[in-house]
Amino acid sequence: MTEDPPTFRLEVPSETRFLGLVRDVARKMAELSGFDDATAEKIALAVDEAATNVLEHAYHGAGDRVVRVDMDQGGESFCVDVVDDGDPLDPARLRGELDIPGLEKERRTGGLGVHLMGRIMDSVTFQRAARGNVCCLVKHKRPAPAGR
Amino acid sequence: MSELSVETREMGEVSLIYPRGFINAHTVRLFEAEIQRAVLAKRFKLVVNCAGLAYIASAGLGAIMGAIEEVRENGGDIRLSELNETVRNIFEILGFDRLYEVFPTEMEAVLSFRSQGS
Repeated sequence: MTEDPPTFRLEVPSETRFLGLVRDVARKMAELSGFDDATAEKIALAVDEAATNVLEHAYHGAGDRVVRVDMDQGGESFCVDVVDDGDPLDPARLRGELDIPGLEKERRTGGLGVHLMGRIMDSVTFQRAARGNVCCLVKHKRPAPAGR
Repeated sequence: MSELSVETREMGEVSLIYPRGFINAHTVRLFEAEIQRAVLAKRFKLVVNCAGLAYIASAGLGAIMGAIEEVRENGGDIRLSELNETVRNIFEILGFDRLYEVFPTEMEAVLSFRSQGS
């Protein structure tokens, strides 16, 4: 997404109690973009997971920061930027296959959210930009042609 | 509907857990505590009836994953029933439907423990 103004901007305090609001707004915006209910639900979950990542890994639970969610539904894709000014994401969290039995054995549950985001959206990227850390989630309004 | 409420009922050896609302990073502690309460009481045969569950984020799946080893080591299991389309989709996206037994009805989930004789 460029620096053009988003269709909709939501800023919430960095507290988990606002995750439901983020999710509700994301679902509504996805519906307005033309996605069916089931897909809109999944997109909303991906945005919830991105915001949760910010709270846990960028702000480490601090409740006095801001999570910004920019949504742009005007083009061929629905684009959501989740922006924070906390610590950047550890790139190690983005590597590797999901191994649920392995996680269970180690009593670890981390990384599920990133995998969910990747499987729901067409593209998930993490950038360090002047405006902060940006998790950019993209869902095409029409499926990409086969072979792409 | 409140964000989440969780009740537990007992049916013989099986504990039935009823989350109502949604489970995300904000509400997961309540769900996790209810699973832990059963485990601490050495009740390892658990059925999570998802009929009242609107959606579950990775935090909720993590709560199940965090308990499953101890539960299975003690001869039990965490089984699920009555998933709505949204929750079933989330399970399928991560492949949880292949790792956890999911039943259409609560009674089928309860009876599955009896049929295995555990």
